[in-house]
Amino acid sequence: MLSRRALILAAGAALAAPAPVRADGPRRIVVLGGDLVEIVFALGAGDRVVGTDDTGRHPAAAAALPKVGYLRRFGPEGVLSLAPDLVLANPAAGPETALDQLRAAGLPVALAPGGEGWPSVPPKIAFVGDLLGLAPEAARLSARLDAEMARLATRIADVPDPPSVLFLISLGRGAPMASGGGTAADAMIALAGARNAVTGFDGFKPLSAEALTGLAPDALLLPDHAAEAVGGGQAALALVGLAGTPAGRAGRVVVMDALKLLGFGPRTPEAVRELAMALHADMADRL
Amino acid sequence: MTAAADPSTLAHAAPNRGAGLLGLLGLSVALLAVAGLALGPVTLSPAAVLAALAGQGEPMAEAIVLHIRAPRVLLGLGVGAGLALAGMALQGVLRNPLADPGLIGVSAGAALGAVGVIVLGGWFMGGVPAPLRPWIMPAAAFGGASLVTAFVFGLARRGGAVSVPTLILAGVAVNAIAGAGVGAMIYVSDDQQLRDLTFWSMGSLGAAAWAPATLAAVCIAAAGVGLARMARALDLFQLGERAAFHAGLDVERAKRRVALGAALAVGAGTAVAGPIGFVGLVAPHLARLVVGPAHRLALPAAALLGAGLLLAADLGVRLAVPPAEPPIGLATSLIGGPFFLWLLLARMERGDA
Amino acid sequence: MPEAQKLEARRLHLRRAGRPVLCGVDVAVAPGRLLAVCGPNGAGKSSLLAALAGDLRPETGAALIDGAPVAALGARALARLRAVLEQAPGLSAAFTVETLVRLGADAVPESPVEPARLVAEALDAVGMSAFAARRADRLSGGERARAHLARVLAQLRAGEAAGGGRYLLLDEPTASLDLAHQVTVMRAARSAADGGAGVLCVLHDLNLAAAFADDVALLDEGRVVAAGAPEQVLTAPALTALYRAPIAVERHPGGALRIAPDLAPRRRSAA
Repeated sequence: MLSRRALILAAGAALAAPAPVRADGPRRIVVLGGDLVEIVFALGAGDRVVGTDDTGRHPAAAAALPKVGYLRRFGPEGVLSLAPDLVLANPAAGPETALDQLRAAGLPVALAPGGEGWPSVPPKIAFVGDLLGLAPEAARLSARLDAEMARLATRIADVPDPPSVLFLISLGRGAPMASGGGTAADAMIALAGARNAVTGFDGFKPLSAEALTGLAPDALLLPDHAAEAVGGGQAALALVGLAGTPAGRAGRVVVMDALKLLGFGPRTPEAVRELAMALHADMADRL
Repeated sequence: MTAAADPSTLAHAAPNRGAGLLGLLGLSVALLAVAGLALGPVTLSPAAVLAALAGQGEPMAEAIVLHIRAPRVLLGLGVGAGLALAGMALQGVLRNPLADPGLIGVSAGAALGAVGVIVLGGWFMGGVPAPLRPWIMPAAAFGGASLVTAFVFGLARRGGAVSVPTLILAGVAVNAIAGAGVGAMIYVSDDQQLRDLTFWSMGSLGAAAWAPATLAAVCIAAAGVGLARMARALDLFQLGERAAFHAGLDVERAKRRVALGAALAVGAGTAVAGPIGFVGLVAPHLARLVVGPAHRLALPAAALLGAGLLLAADLGVRLAVPPAEPPIGLATSLIGGPFFLWLLLARMERGDA
Repeated sequence: MPEAQKLEARRLHLRRAGRPVLCGVDVAVAPGRLLAVCGPNGAGKSSLLAALAGDLRPETGAALIDGAPVAALGARALARLRAVLEQAPGLSAAFTVETLVRLGADAVPESPVEPARLVAEALDAVGMSAFAARRADRLSGGERARAHLARVLAQLRAGEAAGGGRYLLLDEPTASLDLAHQVTVMRAARSAADGGAGVLCVLHDLNLAAAFADDVALLDEGRVVAAGAPEQVLTAPALTALYRAPIAVERHPGGALRIAPDLAPRRRSAA
């Protein structure tokens, strides 16, 4: 059905000169959402992507593609200028008016399923696979990732005493933003066999140095951009006043690629393993 | 400075020359509007654009011209003219040519109202009848802008003309207070709202579709008609409020009307396009340079220049790095910021800052 | 009711910032007369003018214009009946002199006279015709004062043509002017009075008051201490008491009064 719509579009939009649409699926895709970009590339269909939004930063080939602006505020005409035959969008993509304008231009817009955490990933992979005519590949990818997650889960279940981990999404100006319950970081910390040092609130809140010290985390987890901004993980530890906590005394700071850590997708098992190895150094050889 | 030969002491423009200049400005704005319809990241031939405008084009060309570019041009015209008129009116009442809606905090007030709706809207939108919902954000932005305008005019009431330092300090304070309010909203917003706020606060015409653009244009047109009729009042304000009263002006009523018009124009524009800085400063200045300071000509000239500036800036951001689109607020601030500094320094050198 | 044809303060009390500045003032100026209000700094002269112009509301008593309370009339109605020249009038915009004067001419929209004619006549009356196209914010002090006076005269004439234009209120119009321009301005005020307007003029210069006024009111600490014809009011004992300094009044052979601080006694006492 989709390819029929795409054919109609191709007939109607000759002046934008989209590439000829083949029967096996769309050939010129604009992908809105870094998680979907990773999935398309993991399915080996990266050569069909002609543009992404600003969150499409992995893999390197995706990062080099034309960018149509930020996920939540992309420019519709910028998308059309890439002469796509399909827009694959995360449900968070917007504004809604821009999506409507794309549809009005006769461009099919496929909204991937949403959801949070690891359980949302296999349905997304299946959706993209169906859309691109790569259903078998999608099934294989899902199965492989699922198996790896299951293997990690059984190993991590052996962790005797889960350490408490504080995740700071940014170091702010004097008030670092800490990640509470219900966040992607919270889910990843649990998957890696640890517990979130923050239990008092959901979402992100700026915390004072005193409040941070009171959390007494065993380890500090930082996204790479936040750590780089202050000159590395150890510098960050001192900066936010965690020197007196168990994490500070042991110098335990884990710095990870933010997209990989938080953007649930094909790289999530790898991220879980990386985080678990950093947190449980004693059992690294069994992960 | 007594020699009549010094051209700088002579009149700027004779009335009929003024009308000609207005016509020229109108023509330029019309050309920019046509350019706004014809140019963009998608290359369309003039014939394709014409066919689309006539409703006989390719479906995609029609969608681009009629549903993406046209509402955007309308929004640019409205927001640019509205900010310029509001800037000119505020400058007139405060007797201070540096009174820009952004600098003195009117835009920040509007932003606080709009941000409140973005973040808290989820709580109360359900209780609002569906047809009224699109009006909530402009109404909140208008409310915020009105509060700030009333406060700044209150300053003017105490001291007569508002001096530049007072105005800038008041602007710093108002912007800080509104900033704190926005900060509080950020504190209670979730991750996604936070990102929305960040991008909204840079200003963009990209959210233009017919419904919001028309809504903003209607509000701004109403405000513009109201402000355009204040030309004589604004002229009289240049004598000071007391002399304006002596010459027959109901000063308090005129101030209320200017405040209402400026807040409506800034509020409606900000709600849809986000805060866009410096148009309200640059356009009135250019208008005075072109047609002279009398408001009968300067008001319409400022409206045209504001509309033209914003259309030009929008064309710039659309064509600069396609397919991405930098926020237009960045573009106007990039031009307006240095302009403002130059103005401030020039006035300080003359000793009347 | 010809009795009511005047601009009048009746037992007027006024406070500013909590301090009484006028305490039961009675003055009146009738059409065709020029009343000079004189007195030391802080006597309440400008406050009296502001109350009569409608800027300040009396605490008790009344400011009446042709029998009606000034406070009850709107800005438009007042603009038709009277024109006011503030002390040290300002201008924030780079208007031309013509645009500035036009603001006065346009103050009475119901006036049947062409505003351009009013502007030309008013500029002529103050000797500023050659300055019409010049920028008003770049004039010298004297030129600026005359340009503003022209604006006020244009409003007065426009009001007159519309059946009002009865009163002209001038607050120290000669301040900061050289001698020749002082005379130009006072002649313009005199000719407004001769033309039928009631002119109230706050003046520091008692010689100008003596030369141009029909009546003089002396104000001291918010009270009228003397009022009447210049020769009766402007006497050496009265002025010496008023200014708390010796003041001499001489009559010139031509009949004009010459008033000046009497400097001789001070020299003697210093010796």
